[in-house]
Amino acid sequence: MTTLTHSARPSRPRRKPVDGWRWAGRIFLVLMLIYTVVPMAWMLITSLKGGFAAMMYPPQWIPAEPTLENYIRLLDPKDTIGQDFLRYFWNSLWVSTTTTILAVIVAVPAAYAFSRFRFPGRNFLFFAVLLRNMFPAVIFLVPLFILMRWLGLVNTHGSLILTYLTFGLPLAIWLLKGFYDNIPIQLEQAARIDGATRFQAFLLIVMPLSTPGIIATAIYSFIGAWNEFIYAATFLNKNEQMTLPVGIQRFFSENTTDWPGLMAASFMMSVPVVVLFLILQKYFVRALTEGAVKH
Amino acid sequence: MAEVVLKDVVKTYGSVYAVNNVSLTVADGEFVALVGPSGCGKTTTLNLVAGLIPMSGGDVMIGDRVVTDLDPKDRDIAMVFQNYALYPNKTVYKNLAFPLQMRKLPKDEIDRKVQAAAKVLDITHLLERKPRELSGGQQQRVALGRALVRDPKVFLMDEPLSNLDAKLRVQMRSEIKRFHQDLKATIIYVTHDQLEAVTMADKMAVMNGGFLQQYDTPANVFANPVNMFVAGFIGSPAMSLIPLTAVTRGTEVVLTSAEGWELPLSPANAKKALSAKSDKVVLGARHSTVRLHKTQVPGSVPGKVYTVEPTGDVTFAQIFVSSAILNISLGPTVQISPDESVFIEFDQERMHLFDGVTEMALKAV
Repeated sequence: MTTLTHSARPSRPRRKPVDGWRWAGRIFLVLMLIYTVVPMAWMLITSLKGGFAAMMYPPQWIPAEPTLENYIRLLDPKDTIGQDFLRYFWNSLWVSTTTTILAVIVAVPAAYAFSRFRFPGRNFLFFAVLLRNMFPAVIFLVPLFILMRWLGLVNTHGSLILTYLTFGLPLAIWLLKGFYDNIPIQLEQAARIDGATRFQAFLLIVMPLSTPGIIATAIYSFIGAWNEFIYAATFLNKNEQMTLPVGIQRFFSENTTDWPGLMAASFMMSVPVVVLFLILQKYFVRALTEGAVKH
Repeated sequence: MAEVVLKDVVKTYGSVYAVNNVSLTVADGEFVALVGPSGCGKTTTLNLVAGLIPMSGGDVMIGDRVVTDLDPKDRDIAMVFQNYALYPNKTVYKNLAFPLQMRKLPKDEIDRKVQAAAKVLDITHLLERKPRELSGGQQQRVALGRALVRDPKVFLMDEPLSNLDAKLRVQMRSEIKRFHQDLKATIIYVTHDQLEAVTMADKMAVMNGGFLQQYDTPANVFANPVNMFVAGFIGSPAMSLIPLTAVTRGTEVVLTSAEGWELPLSPANAKKALSAKSDKVVLGARHSTVRLHKTQVPGSVPGKVYTVEPTGDVTFAQIFVSSAILNISLGPTVQISPDESVFIEFDQERMHLFDGVTEMALKAV
């Protein structure tokens, strides 16, 4: 025993007793993981098979002869299927991006106003904004269709963009208001005393701090519009205007279904969303206002 | 630097008066503390001077300009916030440079001023850091630096020390005081800590319930509180207030308690007691002006020891006198114990008398 060791300190942390709840939680998480990953994996595996291999029973878990032919076909502008797919993809991208940009442009000032200003009817308005999202989408299908027909927007992408905004905006406003609520008002006050106008304080101080919120909001809007099916199926019936979720249906035909083609299309439909998430996920976790004020 | 004048300033929220007809003048180069309990309207008053919230009535003047309708940016003021409000995405350098950039100063002048301010506050080595990488005391310095970099007409400070730990607070207190002396700056300083107000300010404005209660030098406020609120708020421990009844006995006036003891008043105090609206008079005494006796002496009243708090060089004790608790301070050698019966002698020269109805200090008429 040397005199340098601290004899008072226990040599090894005592083993914690096995925590049943902790293990139950782990098992639950593993099951959830399987539940979410297996369909995606199955989608990817099937998309790499030929038409015959996809129908084999028992199924091939690992494709014996993996092929990219389905992807090549979908991305070939000369192929008829490729032409359709690329058009749907472009349509979806256009509708979703426009929806997202408009949603952010409108939601940012609206959320800021709800967060910072006290005006008559503020609570009522905010509740009204949220009320829209408390009803299932189907309820508005017929009224909105009639409205769109009246506006002459049936069979245009404008009808979808407008409709998606009615879903996306309330959520976007609500999300962003939460972000603005968390930015201390003293920062703007300091900026205004330091010589900024109210708008400059918003632009130079508040906006950079709410970037994570804006990005998160944009992603939500984008995904909502990208995945939407029922309105797209109702408002559009021309092939050249269809968006991906509707267009993909065309892989089902009366007698046969091109499963590998469908799976390849589905996989590529999920790619933009996943890529978006991977690129921007750091904004979700970055605690940007940390150190701004002492709590 | 400039003087600041508040004239009949009012701020209402619905039917609630947050600031009620406050008028005061802060002379050029003066350090004024707005002090009062939470919700007394002191921060609201400061925000009105800053122009951060619209006024419901009255006027604010800074220098020779009426600024009532001006934006904060046009008032030529600087403000230090309780939570510092440093721009979290900017470095310390850019935090300090921001007010200068907003005034479109040339780049080399900005650099010169930022470096000068950083040197004064000893934060030169922190200039490239982000606020979150600083300690509380360092953040406080940066906040101060951002205020002084621009040489404004008035400094507004909203409880700038209340987020610091006790030791740092005492240190920063003397630094801010030094800063005021060196710059001869006009400072309006909001605090709920009466000790900060007393130690730092040239004058203190005591507020309560939206009203300005008293505006005077700390020494005068301490010596002559205008009402029971100010008496109880300023000083630590607080002035003790004992509700009694004034009775005339032939040529002299005595204060009587419900328990039946009587305290004869000096002629000067007797005059004051008789000027009260009713016979209800409140006796106020600071801890250092009363003497404790173990046996009854002429002019003393009975009490019972409640708690004894030795602090080393002074022992504070709380004594039940009539229905109230009296704070007293004793030398370290005095031995008393809880529940002991003692006798209290008041200093007629330094006792305070308040009207039991209006709560105002009584004056000899």
